[in-house]
Amino acid sequence: MTTATMHLTRAEGRLFLRDPAMSFFGVVFPGLLLAMLGWLYPGFTDPAAELGGASYLAYYAPVTMVMGIATLGLMTLPPVLGTYRQFGILRRLQTTPVHPARLLGAQVTVHLAVSVVGGVIAMTVAVLGFDLGLPDLPVWFAATYVLGAASIVSLGVLVGSRARRTSSAQVLGMAVFFPMLLFAGVWIPRSVMPDALLTISDLTPMGAMVEALGNAWVGATPAATDLTVIALWAAAAGLLSVWMFRWE
Amino acid sequence: MPAIDVHGLTKAYDGVAVVDDVSFSVAESEIFGIVGPNGAGKTTTVETVAGLRTPDRGTIDVLGFHPVDDRAEITERVGVQLQESRLQDRIRVREALELYASFYRAPRDWRELADRFDLGGRMGTAYKDLSGGQKQRLAVALALVGAPRIAILDELTTGLDPQARRSAWETVERIRDDGTTVVLVTHFMEEAERLCDRIMVLDEGRVSAIDTPRGLVAGVGGARILRFRPSHPIGDGDLLALDDVTRVTRHDAQVVVTGGDDMVQQVTALLAHRGVVAHDLRVEQTSLEDAYLTMTGGSNDRRETT
Repeated sequence: MTTATMHLTRAEGRLFLRDPAMSFFGVVFPGLLLAMLGWLYPGFTDPAAELGGASYLAYYAPVTMVMGIATLGLMTLPPVLGTYRQFGILRRLQTTPVHPARLLGAQVTVHLAVSVVGGVIAMTVAVLGFDLGLPDLPVWFAATYVLGAASIVSLGVLVGSRARRTSSAQVLGMAVFFPMLLFAGVWIPRSVMPDALLTISDLTPMGAMVEALGNAWVGATPAATDLTVIALWAAAAGLLSVWMFRWE
Repeated sequence: MPAIDVHGLTKAYDGVAVVDDVSFSVAESEIFGIVGPNGAGKTTTVETVAGLRTPDRGTIDVLGFHPVDDRAEITERVGVQLQESRLQDRIRVREALELYASFYRAPRDWRELADRFDLGGRMGTAYKDLSGGQKQRLAVALALVGAPRIAILDELTTGLDPQARRSAWETVERIRDDGTTVVLVTHFMEEAERLCDRIMVLDEGRVSAIDTPRGLVAGVGGARILRFRPSHPIGDGDLLALDDVTRVTRHDAQVVVTGGDDMVQQVTALLAHRGVVAHDLRVEQTSLEDAYLTMTGGSNDRRETT
């Protein structure tokens, strides 16, 4: 890392944490949501027949983590990019020896780092609060988590690649975020989804991620198809962003 | 060798020429002003010099470099304060200065720069909590933190109260005293007159004049203006027939005569001879503002800024 990149990443990290809404939803929210569900929802930790004998808590642990990543990638990141474009912050950087792409890189790094912290907190809640075991395949779990986070954050960059203002980036982010929650199995668990919905879910980065993380947690190697779906989304969103992105 | 040399710069948007065949050069350590009505192409001109826009035609040489092709060389040597550009709400003054200093090979000492621009006591303040004047001073400090040889300041004082504006003027003078060449875009003639060594007047994308402030005033024919309301009608032709009268204009009942040093005496003599009483008689030195309004057709607000 060059000095400028380091300084940018540190500055953007500070700005992220200084924003109460961003730091709450990015860092605390997934773990808090899981804790609330576990404590308040009757039978949440009991084995459930419709989930193949697993508890709702075991199912929702990876789902809330993916939801946390999606909140960061689709709700937090695009408005930041819209704001930076609207305020001419990206444009201002173009007049310095540091290309604004490095600011974008700093934002992506910060969002990925926060998504890991949020995931670790959520996992701590599940393991210490509700006696859920640690993932049986920790390396597969971590690799899937990071790949999936990269994929969703790339999607967020794409969403924010042309927005001229904060508000339009917010609207576009929400338009992607809510359907993605459905496909991720937040409202209808994947095991009880109708076939058509499940097929779509399998093809979305969040659906594939929930499946792969769930597998790694209980000791099954994530399916190559799920990992391929996640990787393809990451590559497609990344390349499209490079092509679409406007600095002013 | 001039610091900036521009020849035949032309830039069109949607087929409309915003900048049309503009040529000028800026000497080292000069404060060069660019004035003109909104939409005259001032911002487009300086942003093209800074390499943020690519010209359709024309050549631009900045310190021997091409603004777009030699990006790395230009960004190290040209500091820019953009119009309508701001920082992140929550970034603090110290952080912004330190961050921007990290972008350059040989930055200036940002602490010293902060003191110089009276930001020393505001180092821990978030950008959104700064006053308008403090934000502008920070923008200038950031434009200078890379120790540039040229500083481009676009509408530095727009939106500032008179006191903050005067303090910004002192800022610009300090920059020049450091030996930095300054290109100043403004629509305040008082500001251009006070600060600039030379001024380029742009109107509808074309150069109306390039001269010193004094030269521009002399160029529109006259150093003095006489205003009065005559008690009886007096014809333009009678006034223009006088030796030292160059222009006569009328605003309702008021007659405005422009001319040389003897103009006032000649006009009052004529009025006395005709038995015309001059009500509300006032004599003024022609200001740059008057010269500017003459050159740009009297409107300082014709179109939206581009």
